[in-house]
Amino acid sequence: MSENKPFEINKNYEQEYGFHSPEQYVFKAKRGLSKEIVEEISWMKSEPDWMRAFRLRALEHFNRKPMPAWADMSLLSQIHFDDIYYYLKPTEKQEKRWEDVPEEIKNTFDKLGIPEAERKFLAGVTAQYESEVVYHSLHKDLEKQGVIFLGMDDGLKKYPELVKKYFGTVIPAADNKFSALNSATWSGGSFIYVPKGVKVAIPLQAYFRINAQNMGQFERTLIIADEGSSVHYIEGCLPAGEQVSTGQRWVNIESIRPKDTVLNSDGEESAVRSARVRQYRGELLTIKPISSGNAFQLTPEHPVLAVPREEVRVPRKARKSWLGEVSTKKLLATEPRFIEAGKLHRGDFLVFPISQIVKDDPKLTVAALRLLGYYLSEGSTFVHRTLRMPVVTFSFGSTERPLIEETKRLIKEITGKRAMEVADRKKHGVSVLVYSKPLMDLCLEHCGKWAGTKELSKTVMDLPPEKQAHLLETYLLGDGSRYQRTHTMVRASTASKNLARQLQELLARQGHYATISLRKGGPDTILGRKINRKDQYILYYSPEKQMGEVRRRGNTFLVPVKEVQRAPYEGPVFNIELDHSPNAYLARGFAVHNCTAPVYASDSLHSAVVEIIALPHSHIRYTTIQNWSKNVYNLVTKRAIAHENATVEWLDGNLGSKLTMKYPGVCLVGRKARGEVVSVAFSGKGQHQDAGAKMIHAAPETTSTILSKSISKDGGRTSYRGLVKVYPQADHVKSSVRCDALLMDELSRSDTYPTMEIDAEQVQIGHEATVSKVGDEQIFYLMSRGLKEQEATTMIVNGFFEAFTKELPLEYAVELNRLVQLEMEGSVG
Amino acid sequence: MSVPLLEIKDLHVQVEGKEILKGISLRVEKGQVHALMGPNGSGKSTLSNTLMGHPKYQVTQGQILYRGENLAGLKTDARARAGIFLAFQYPTSIPGVSVANFLRTAMKARFGEAFQPKEFRKTFKAAMAELGIDEGFATRYVNDGFSGGEKKRHEILQMKLLKPELAILDETDSGLDIDALRTVAEGINHLRGPELGILLITHYQRILNYVQPEAVHVLINGQIIRSGGKDLAHELEAKGYAPYEVLKEPPKEIVSK
Repeated sequence: MSENKPFEINKNYEQEYGFHSPEQYVFKAKRGLSKEIVEEISWMKSEPDWMRAFRLRALEHFNRKPMPAWADMSLLSQIHFDDIYYYLKPTEKQEKRWEDVPEEIKNTFDKLGIPEAERKFLAGVTAQYESEVVYHSLHKDLEKQGVIFLGMDDGLKKYPELVKKYFGTVIPAADNKFSALNSATWSGGSFIYVPKGVKVAIPLQAYFRINAQNMGQFERTLIIADEGSSVHYIEGCLPAGEQVSTGQRWVNIESIRPKDTVLNSDGEESAVRSARVRQYRGELLTIKPISSGNAFQLTPEHPVLAVPREEVRVPRKARKSWLGEVSTKKLLATEPRFIEAGKLHRGDFLVFPISQIVKDDPKLTVAALRLLGYYLSEGSTFVHRTLRMPVVTFSFGSTERPLIEETKRLIKEITGKRAMEVADRKKHGVSVLVYSKPLMDLCLEHCGKWAGTKELSKTVMDLPPEKQAHLLETYLLGDGSRYQRTHTMVRASTASKNLARQLQELLARQGHYATISLRKGGPDTILGRKINRKDQYILYYSPEKQMGEVRRRGNTFLVPVKEVQRAPYEGPVFNIELDHSPNAYLARGFAVHNCTAPVYASDSLHSAVVEIIALPHSHIRYTTIQNWSKNVYNLVTKRAIAHENATVEWLDGNLGSKLTMKYPGVCLVGRKARGEVVSVAFSGKGQHQDAGAKMIHAAPETTSTILSKSISKDGGRTSYRGLVKVYPQADHVKSSVRCDALLMDELSRSDTYPTMEIDAEQVQIGHEATVSKVGDEQIFYLMSRGLKEQEATTMIVNGFFEAFTKELPLEYAVELNRLVQLEMEGSVG
Repeated sequence: MSVPLLEIKDLHVQVEGKEILKGISLRVEKGQVHALMGPNGSGKSTLSNTLMGHPKYQVTQGQILYRGENLAGLKTDARARAGIFLAFQYPTSIPGVSVANFLRTAMKARFGEAFQPKEFRKTFKAAMAELGIDEGFATRYVNDGFSGGEKKRHEILQMKLLKPELAILDETDSGLDIDALRTVAEGINHLRGPELGILLITHYQRILNYVQPEAVHVLINGQIIRSGGKDLAHELEAKGYAPYEVLKEPPKEIVSK
């Protein structure tokens, strides 16, 4: 008989494995857009009046302006502006040193490879997490030379005059509907000023990312290069936002990179050797344990840590539809092993490890935890609009006297203030409320804000179980109910999926395995009122015994499978491979081998505005590598003004997003100014990359070059939309436009919409456009040298993009090639 | 008897429904050079493409055995990795892909684990020097804007680096001036050895002045109508293909089995 070795979950469970960052927002605006929201954003940021006025004017423009008539309305009309969160602020202040960046956010950035990048070559980095720039550092030499590189919000605070002079001058709020939207709601982005004659040798970089569902991101960037200076700015919109679960937490599996560390099923840390996405067509399994809220999906060949029921049954026969009885003794003595998911049956046991991490935080007293428990079930926070006071409020039923009394007592103990009690006789309710900023901060930091997104902080999750018991107790007093069957049962429901899973984890630490089941939302009637009920996650457990056949074995629970569903699936599946055996990690709490399928978050909107001012004789290069997930609308306005003899170059790479509409432009207003756009686009299934360039020649002897390269595949669509305008008196202008499109198959599409408005004499304008297909002969030639079909196609595609990649810093060129390779995988054969 | 390097048995090949090769049989042993001669449209390129597994060319009958193994169902890349090499008559260009990058990738594919990336530069440079190719070649895009001679030398360079066991040279001599022809022929002779079998496909006899074949075959209208020693080539040079054209229409029953 094998030794009964308990599963040991590493002490560093959270740091090493829980790499989803719980959303600890200080402030999360409501969905939708209104004057109040815009004012609230401005107020939260303590902005000067002129900026608030600017925002409000922009909102009016946004409301008034129609969508662009020429746009791809089949996609654009799917944006629901009322469903979007317009502002999230993750931490209190911007961090200067990497060490000071909060752990959760750092973990997210780790996956982007930023720390290495920083150590190696970065001059400065700003990283945008949700809306705010949270990390930023600048090389000391540059600081001495007077280079300013700040988050836009910080820039406005520290250099209000400079910002006021240039902000909105290149792209007025009324420029188009999306620039108006950004002008009203902007948050984060970069502010850069390079003083006269300073040449910034190393690129300044920023990373942007959308992490929450229905989240809009509206960063605003302003770059000013003073006379004779030069600077290169790079923005990466890298990781996709599709969320899948590989553990207790939601994780963006596709953003896991080689060398990241995850926790394997033995509870030991293990480095990721490779992370892959592949196209999969076939059966996809949904494994539902008795807790259906912990169901997870995988492909049949992927092994899951389990104990087959057959091996632990008592000799008696199964009766009718009942499963054969299980011998607890046998079950606990059997070492779980990896079994292919396709071979799992109803009744087999899965392994659910219990987190063993304990890290006390004396700031979180028993009283605080009890109050947080009440907050979790009954509380909310808001800022009183007229009083401008932070409010924390708890709503109880009028009969819940002991709860009301305890809440008031706890508030007094924690804040020193007396809570107010407001009765609402109609609803038989009582509200307990208090004006307290510290309490509001405490609640937001550890519990989140809205019912649907409430989530506990890592600090709370790591506390000793004795302390967590207090939070659970008061939470269940509020949201839970107790009733008697053969045993006492406890039931609690929450609208937050993450919270449900966290509560399950906390209860596991108390020794109870709670099941999670989903009660689908929808229209409903309560007391004659029609309401739209949200999805509810319902937790069940019994404090007296384990549920059903669940057994505890060391630091794990053994949980029976209730159902194995099979369904055909076509689409990408993600897979990570670990460095060492066992090559397994956790999925929704259960140990599985590598591989799980994606769950798409709902659509998000990214609408940035970038303004560039190139003063005489300066040189600015702006590089973008955009790989938003395939459900992001990327509607960006980018424009530069180039004064005498200044050069502005836009390098623009678009791989991700559902719809991109982006036409970087240069207004050449000084003699001999130069503008260049090199843009590449890759459009796969369901994507439309509508990109191009605008060159406005408003001065003599100005020159411009546009090079656009696009690839469409699997029915993807690319468009080049360009404008070259030459004003009267702008003599001796030279402009050349070249668009090359490559079609990978018959389904895909590419269009060009070039516009030329020439009102001057003596100009040289060239325009050239080609559309080609990847030739069979090219593929045959490469295959005849031993390359696999897919390698051959990737090589041809990378060659096609070479004009762009050769201009990129090495790291980005490598990254772009890797992304192209990922996109090409599964496209052939 | 040892297994021949290449054995073609009664090979019939169709392109877009039209039969081009009508029953070819051929054996090439290790270390031998076989010349396959024929006029335009006789099916020379069809044979070389079929040997390399071009998906457009459909084998309807017969077999190709490479080292005794049937190549049917083996994809082009697998054939290449197994040591078959085709020097193209018209190598296609791959814009944006440098010669060095292309060759590094190809060598990695061919040799797998045995490929030493650190050694690549040295091997590559030495090979270019031996074939009299300028170093600047390495950074040019594959066949993009190459002259006829450069293209052919590039093919020979690949052959040298990929060390095939069976090389099919498809009209490598065509379109070359006399100096370029000599350089290419020298390259081929340089690569000849006991481990390499070569199928030299050509329209003209002149390359055979530099590369001495063990055997010569005449391909006309999809069939090998004569095989012989190197003297056969001279005979063809003197008389042309015309005397054989009489046999252009083989009896019907042979065509349809």
